[in-house]
Amino acid sequence: MSQEIAVVGSPDFTAGFRLAGVRRFENVQDGERAERLDDAVTSVLDDAGVGIVVMHDEDIEYLSRTVRQRVETSVEPVVVTLGGGTGSGNLREQIKRAIGIDLMEE
Amino acid sequence: MSKDVKPTRKNLMAIEDRIELSERGHDTLEKKRDGLIMEFMDILDQAQDVRSDLDDNYERAQRNINMARAMEGDVAVRGAAAALKEHPEITSQSKNIMGVVVPQIESTKVKKSLDQRGYGLVGTSARIDEAADAYEQLLETIILAAEVETAMKKMLDEIEKTKRRVNALEFKLLPELHGAQEYIEQKLEEQEREEIFRMKKIKAKKEEDEAAENAQEAAEAEVETVPADG
Repeated sequence: MSQEIAVVGSPDFTAGFRLAGVRRFENVQDGERAERLDDAVTSVLDDAGVGIVVMHDEDIEYLSRTVRQRVETSVEPVVVTLGGGTGSGNLREQIKRAIGIDLMEE
Repeated sequence: MSKDVKPTRKNLMAIEDRIELSERGHDTLEKKRDGLIMEFMDILDQAQDVRSDLDDNYERAQRNINMARAMEGDVAVRGAAAALKEHPEITSQSKNIMGVVVPQIESTKVKKSLDQRGYGLVGTSARIDEAADAYEQLLETIILAAEVETAMKKMLDEIEKTKRRVNALEFKLLPELHGAQEYIEQKLEEQEREEIFRMKKIKAKKEEDEAAENAQEAAEAEVETVPADG
């Protein structure tokens, strides 16, 4: 089954991806992040036609707890965050918990 | 330790069987955990490379699109984006690493040549082309990152699960079973000692009874013989 790539974020963030041909995108203005970001993210996560969700690392902060947890653990679709540096996100925490040591030290 | 096991030989044998099975399972799970961690280390190296590529590509793409917007204007960039006909698609297949199913994502129509983009060559400038190029490159890296990060998430889950099982066997189930085994063995020994003591008692009682009987018989015999003398 072929799937698409979806981009969620500010119009500035999504514009470039549209230039690369991404069709599925959710624009959320910077000022509306608190109200609209949750719904936007949930709608792409629930879309079976979406295989990869691209988000900016900063936007993750604005998500509510449950949605954030889904973003961090979701495998289908998988969420890739940009702009957060190497040791970013929940993955590092998960590694610490599972292996017992921090393997992502820079 | 669970004291609710019945101290019978049958239970003892059952517990010994369970201990053997648990120990075997524990060894196997330990091996699985170590194997998973080794596989994970390989993927982690890969993931770190992909991550740094991703950040570089993102920065470059952002620079390019900002340049394009500054020089050509927002409308031109949006217009070019709206004109695109080909859209990237991904298909995922799965691969099995030590029982963990990880995806292998294949993409089509991410990288496009100028004439495939569909916004025309005359109306747009090279800066938009550059920006589109950079974003296509970024998308490719994102797809790679998605594949690697999904694999990592799944493997971490599995490692955690396996670790929990190993620990449950090692620190909960096996000590309990060993405790139960010891308890039954001691109980059985105790019963055996009681049994021996009981036997001894019975033997002593029997001997006493026999002795008393003999004595009585002897006395009776004596009584019978005494008048004969007189």
